[in-house]
Amino acid sequence: MGTAEQASNEIIHYLPMQVDFLGMTVHMQTLYMSWLACIITIVVVWAITSGSKMVPGRAQAALEMFFDALGGLIEKNMGKEGRSKMQAFFFTLFLYLFVANEIGVFLPSIGIHFTSPTNDMNTVFALSILVMVVAYIFGIANKGVGYFGHFVKPYVPFLPLNIVEEIAKPITLALRLFGNILAGEILLIVLYKLCPWVIPDIWVLFSLFVGVLQAFVFTMLSIINIAPSFVNNH
Amino acid sequence: MVEFDATFFAQIINFLILLFILGKFAYKPLMKVLDERRERVANDLETAEKTRVEAEALKAQYSKQLADAREEANAILDKANKAGQKVHDDYMAQAQAEKDQMMTAAKQTIADEKDQALTDVRAQVITLATEIASKVVDQKLNSAADQEMVAKTADSVLNK
Repeated sequence: MGTAEQASNEIIHYLPMQVDFLGMTVHMQTLYMSWLACIITIVVVWAITSGSKMVPGRAQAALEMFFDALGGLIEKNMGKEGRSKMQAFFFTLFLYLFVANEIGVFLPSIGIHFTSPTNDMNTVFALSILVMVVAYIFGIANKGVGYFGHFVKPYVPFLPLNIVEEIAKPITLALRLFGNILAGEILLIVLYKLCPWVIPDIWVLFSLFVGVLQAFVFTMLSIINIAPSFVNNH
Repeated sequence: MVEFDATFFAQIINFLILLFILGKFAYKPLMKVLDERRERVANDLETAEKTRVEAEALKAQYSKQLADAREEANAILDKANKAGQKVHDDYMAQAQAEKDQMMTAAKQTIADEKDQALTDVRAQVITLATEIASKVVDQKLNSAADQEMVAKTADSVLNK
């Protein structure tokens, strides 16, 4: 497809790029990269937490600090119960997105070109729709049918607006991440073609920053989207 | 990349598997350690608080004991002072009394001696005067009237 994918073909060319699954195509490049991101996430987190001690080492302390910070954000938005139920979800979401965003831009400077799994619409929409599904599941589990009451808040005439908003939430959530990451990778390849030295490296630095930022933004907005399922914001 | 296909479902499953694995093998031990640590910190804080309260109670007790001891010491000192003062006063009073007694006795003795001396002198003056007078008038003044007169003369001289 795009230039980013052609560049990635260089390392995974001996594996099938597409497979058919129940009459639908599965884009394997994205899946390989997803699995890689998953493996990196699991290995790193497992390596840090498997030897968790009462007195933490540096890596454990850093991870715990991050967990505490993100956990604090979750608790602030969705309360203690929401935190205890959802923190694993958001930790995973952030760590996965972080790794996924970074592997697309991190390695070209040392000659390997991976792509981010988040440069695929399917990945980002999978996550954003999963977030909305989780929001509905917990919303109905916690508040019953009353959860749908937020469609007619503050007044009934707001119903169409609220429906549009509810549809727009996962779309904007997904496209924001998708656009940032895909644009970053495409521009990186273009820059490599224009000027192979220095300038792409600067862009890599910026993309690394964008990757962290977008992972955090996606996680934060997911927290905000799921929060009404646990607490009354209205 | 920009068209939807079964990758969508694959990615959902992917993420759920990741969530499951991380939740099972990574977060659980971490959360356990975090909870244990939180519990331990809470316990330590509680123990520290308890110890602090105990220490304060002990301190108050010691302060009270110290105050009591000081008070007692003061009382003992007071008592000793008073006893000393009393002994001193007693001795002073006794000495004063002895002094007064000795003074009185001495005065008495002096007065007695003086009287005795005067009596002696008077007798001798009478005898001497009588003799001198006898010699002067060449006769004895033996009669009672004579003696009386001489005695009057002697008294008037002595009492001058």
